[in-house]
Amino acid sequence: MSEEYDAVIIGGGVNGLGTAYHLGKKGSTDVVVLDKSYLGYGASGRNGGGIRQQWTSEENIKLALESRKMFEKLNEELEEDLEFYQGGYLVLSFDEEEAEEFKENVKRQNRLGVESEFLSPEEAKEIVPELDISEVVAATFNQSDGTIYPFKVIHGYANRVREMGIEVKEHTEVTDIVTDGEEIKKVKTDKGEIKTDTVVNAAGGWSSQVAEMAGAEIPNVPVRHEIMVTEPFERFLEPMVISFKHGIYFSQSEHGNIVGGIGNPDEEPGINQKGSLWFLKTFSDTLLDFIPRFSAVNMIRQWAGLYDTTPDAQPILGSVPEVERFYQVNGFSGHGFMVSPMVDKVTAELVMGEEPSMDIERLKVERFEDMDIEEEGAVVG
Amino acid sequence: MSEKRIFDHPVLKFDRGQEFYFEFEGKKIKAYEGETIASALYADGLTKFTESKILERPRGFFCAIGKCSSCIMSVNGRPHVRTCVTQAEENMKVERHGARPKFPGIDVGRGKEIKEKEIEIAIIGGGPAGLMAAITAAKLGSEVHLFDEGSNPGGQLIKQTHQFFGSHEEDAGTRGIVIGENLAEEAQKLGVNIHPKTKVLGYYFDRKVAVERKGRFEIYDVGGIVYAGGAIENYLAFENNDFPGVYGAGGVQTLMNEEGIVPGEKVLMVGSGNVGLIVSYQLLQAGVDVAEVIEALPTIGGYQVHASKIRRAGVPIQTSHTIVKAVGEDEVEGAVVHQVDEDWKKVEGTERKIDCDIICLAVGLRPDTSFLRQADCEMEYVAELGGFVPLRTEDMRTTTKGIYVAGDSAGIEEATVAALEGKLAGAALHEELNEEDEETKRLKREAKKGLEQMRKGPYGKVPRLGVKTCTVDEEVCG
Repeated sequence: MSEEYDAVIIGGGVNGLGTAYHLGKKGSTDVVVLDKSYLGYGASGRNGGGIRQQWTSEENIKLALESRKMFEKLNEELEEDLEFYQGGYLVLSFDEEEAEEFKENVKRQNRLGVESEFLSPEEAKEIVPELDISEVVAATFNQSDGTIYPFKVIHGYANRVREMGIEVKEHTEVTDIVTDGEEIKKVKTDKGEIKTDTVVNAAGGWSSQVAEMAGAEIPNVPVRHEIMVTEPFERFLEPMVISFKHGIYFSQSEHGNIVGGIGNPDEEPGINQKGSLWFLKTFSDTLLDFIPRFSAVNMIRQWAGLYDTTPDAQPILGSVPEVERFYQVNGFSGHGFMVSPMVDKVTAELVMGEEPSMDIERLKVERFEDMDIEEEGAVVG
Repeated sequence: MSEKRIFDHPVLKFDRGQEFYFEFEGKKIKAYEGETIASALYADGLTKFTESKILERPRGFFCAIGKCSSCIMSVNGRPHVRTCVTQAEENMKVERHGARPKFPGIDVGRGKEIKEKEIEIAIIGGGPAGLMAAITAAKLGSEVHLFDEGSNPGGQLIKQTHQFFGSHEEDAGTRGIVIGENLAEEAQKLGVNIHPKTKVLGYYFDRKVAVERKGRFEIYDVGGIVYAGGAIENYLAFENNDFPGVYGAGGVQTLMNEEGIVPGEKVLMVGSGNVGLIVSYQLLQAGVDVAEVIEALPTIGGYQVHASKIRRAGVPIQTSHTIVKAVGEDEVEGAVVHQVDEDWKKVEGTERKIDCDIICLAVGLRPDTSFLRQADCEMEYVAELGGFVPLRTEDMRTTTKGIYVAGDSAGIEEATVAALEGKLAGAALHEELNEEDEETKRLKREAKKGLEQMRKGPYGKVPRLGVKTCTVDEEVCG
């Protein structure tokens, strides 16, 4: 393989494929998407499918809001039922201090156009009657949040971009990015070399490694997060339920299974996609605190994926100071799926040299040189 | 058929316990002590047990060993119970719930704290490979625990009512079922801790084995593992191949030879390898009609001696024939077959319908390796051994530290080979965990010599090639 492309996208997850899709829509189809494994091998194929707009940072709220609107039209665009179910997100608070913050969050979200509401524990129970609210202090809820089926989105994008004439190559691992000064010259893979001057780094948990190949530095660190699925039931749970205090989230998929995860505060950073016993025990125990009747339900599978974390839990977009036309679409810190439509659109615009639809200055990697960064406070799982 | 239970069998004797009744959707169902819920329902004539998750097509009794989830129902208010591995109890309330039951209305309470138990050697699988591994390691002085899903160890041997022959002199002329019992007895005498009805759920790093017993979760912290999980039956693609009434040969054997229940009245057997031929004969022994045996290849796959037995009983064996459809409204009422030419193309004008209520598939096995994959063992596709198998050293050690493999999980071969591999793996693991000694070395040599014997000559060519492909040096294995 010795080829030439206008752009090489590294990573066959939702953001790599989504960026390819937006490039294709602009008529730029001399593009190749590479994945070292299969499509969705990384976090895109391992996440809980949550689509949430209830964030604390302005950037994340805007990205999530615009993305939700785009997800609502994505079925039609990809000609695929993506199982986007807008049963809302119910965010539970277990202490007064956090409840006060929730009030502020709702205000900010409302100001930016997200129609979230502040609820009492009793109102939360009306939405999920099975819930044990004895410890719940308050909640927020946003009806237009929901869940989507990640595999269908990934394969919907892959099918569409292939139809557009964009190449998608699985099992093709990037081994080096060759630069001359600030210019990208070629991408080396285990299957051959590709000439290009443009690279999109959408490698998720492997983004730092990819950046290093081009001589660039990004602060991303991969951290394992675990998740599980139960047997299926008739729909009984409308929203995704989450708690920052417990680090837990769970929702019911369109197939009826409960999908949920819990974060381990003591997790060592590094690339590890194995399920652990800690997760099995902790998730089960915590889930039963929320809904005791889960005691009669079997978990059928557990697995793990990587959060590509940044110091402020916000993504890194745009090119980098060291190399030209080396676009970052990474560092999503656990919410790369839900903001992908807008992020991918903006990245395609940057690649094409167009004015981006959203100002991303505060999401470029240079922000970490200043000490004044606003940390996203609503990360879960 | 009014009574599906077998009361009169030329080889097997079924000791049924006390008769009692349980409730199924408002109806009283007869069961005998020791019978599973699914067996009792099947014996009563039930064919549709649950529905598939997406298309909601009917699902019948299928694997009979708790693997396929085609028999899940609600039992005493608890949904998703595998009725084929759950014993019927008096006054139990059983109901079907289709693809998606209601969220359980009951809180059954939290389980006890999960405790980790330290053990030296875990053998996974109680077939010939696992039993021999356990016997060998125990003989050498290791503390051995053997985990098996079935009620009695013996693996597939306990379904084999036919007499074995072949090169393993001591077992020639003995029925598989007896060989299994003998091995289990020997293991017990040597102090092997046998854990029946204990399903191994998975592997956790580092060297932890998770099991389920009576609906409870247990963890074993192990020094080493011999994985002898056996094989999975291959399936065949044809229209309506998911109808209730389509079985794998393993399911039919379990139902008939362990549960003492006949699958139906008239069977079409697909596949003429030894399994297809032997199960056809077992069906005849149990008083079930076998319409035909069909085989896609131009020649019969199994031994002549087995083929002759069923031919003498009047069952035709049609080579160069394949099945294209199961006929019926939503369960098997017949099958459409036709002839194929040397290029596997349909021979026009040969299509015909066979009346039958059971289609039994005996189209080969593939190694069951999911546990090994989960434990990060490097795998390789080896057609000669039936599919993906783990890379291993000559001593059957995989690329993951402390994990050995034996039997069909290492590659599809005969039961005698499985036993020899078990012996080798058991001795090698004992050696890894202890100091070197002469007896261990001798047993390893003996097993290796036996394996060499089994794989020599023209019949041994295929496995010999296969084993060569996936056997790597100690250093490569890490």
